[in-house]
Amino acid sequence: MTTLYLVLVGVLMGNIAVGLLRILRGPTAADRIQAGQLFGTVTVAILLLLAIILEKPIYFDVALVFALLSVLAVVAFVTRSWPHPDAKDQDEQRD
Amino acid sequence: MAVFDLILGLLLVILVRKCLSITDMFGAVISFMAFGLLMAVAWVRLEAPDIALAEAAIGSGLTGALLFSTLGRLPHSETRQPLVPRGSGSGPGYWLVTGFWWAAAMVLIATFVFSFQELQTPGLGGPLQERLAESGVLNPVTAVLLNFRSLDTLMEIAVLLAAVVVAWSMGYVDWPARQTIPSPLLPGVVRLLTPVFLLVAFSLLWRGSHAPGGAFPGGAVLAASGILLLLSGMTVQISPRGMSWLRWVLSAGLLVFVLAGVSLMAAGFGFLVYPEQWAGNLILLIEASAGVSIGAMLLALYVGGEPDMAPSQPNNPVSRPQ
Repeated sequence: MTTLYLVLVGVLMGNIAVGLLRILRGPTAADRIQAGQLFGTVTVAILLLLAIILEKPIYFDVALVFALLSVLAVVAFVTRSWPHPDAKDQDEQRD
Repeated sequence: MAVFDLILGLLLVILVRKCLSITDMFGAVISFMAFGLLMAVAWVRLEAPDIALAEAAIGSGLTGALLFSTLGRLPHSETRQPLVPRGSGSGPGYWLVTGFWWAAAMVLIATFVFSFQELQTPGLGGPLQERLAESGVLNPVTAVLLNFRSLDTLMEIAVLLAAVVVAWSMGYVDWPARQTIPSPLLPGVVRLLTPVFLLVAFSLLWRGSHAPGGAFPGGAVLAASGILLLLSGMTVQISPRGMSWLRWVLSAGLLVFVLAGVSLMAAGFGFLVYPEQWAGNLILLIEASAGVSIGAMLLALYVGGEPDMAPSQPNNPVSRPQ
């Protein structure tokens, strides 16, 4: 079973490598943030697998905190820095 | 697992390189967040779950929200400007200097790694395990942070509070910042997630005594739930009374810590020297107040200025940023 999990971790690392390309190349902000979200999901999966492989249940907690907080980045992106012309105007008026 | 570690290290180096050299701010922020995610996996591999938790909570979650909100506040043209002028950093001089420092760093790291092999593992872990029973908690990291080296933690909380004071001295901030894109999804998601955030925050706080967790990750998750509420367009109106409440919440961690230390001194034990039979309860009290304060302080730092008080109204429902 551990071998299967190790292979899965390897596949997930491959996912991260492919996502890295999208983060580096873009071209749009949305592509990048989605790759960032993919990183978050994949990291949670890797942590869960590592928790089983290494038999350290504490990593389930780390994965839980990650899963919760990955929401924060995407919400901050969508509500605050999404390149939206009207939003920009409002921001400048407010400041 | 060696292959995994190697790939992980390689990805980290690539991300750092991109984060520092990428030509637009958005790309740099995204690379930094991806770096935070992978760094936490690296901490897990180094068997440091406490640091992994802190990295997960602060490194990728809070900093990500902070950086994205900052990007949103900058004028559009500024975020598109390259951080470094194009063409700089590609000449032979650049590579010579960078190459030199890189080689020097590698030699230094190699020296460290080889000298570590001569050290007895786990370093100070042995003496710590011997005296863990005196500390009143079962988690060695909490024992160090809140008993054996509690003065350091006290100072960290004081530094955080000082940072909030400095941020507030910069002026008032328009706290209930307008939600820029009305979304039917967001309030629903936030309504579902906020109880889970609070549950996880307090469970992290509670379990700090016997497992990785404690005041800093707990406080960070608490602050994250506050940021999520603010981002989803929650409006906060703070009455003068709410402000004084907020000040108490912000300083509660430091106050309880100092009071505990001083009253122990008055009882003849010395500053923050816990008697063995009370140590567990004292640590729990200090950790709980510190956790709530840290949450409030991180949230205050995210907001970035003193919240403007609403004109005094008797029925202001929200007084605390939770």
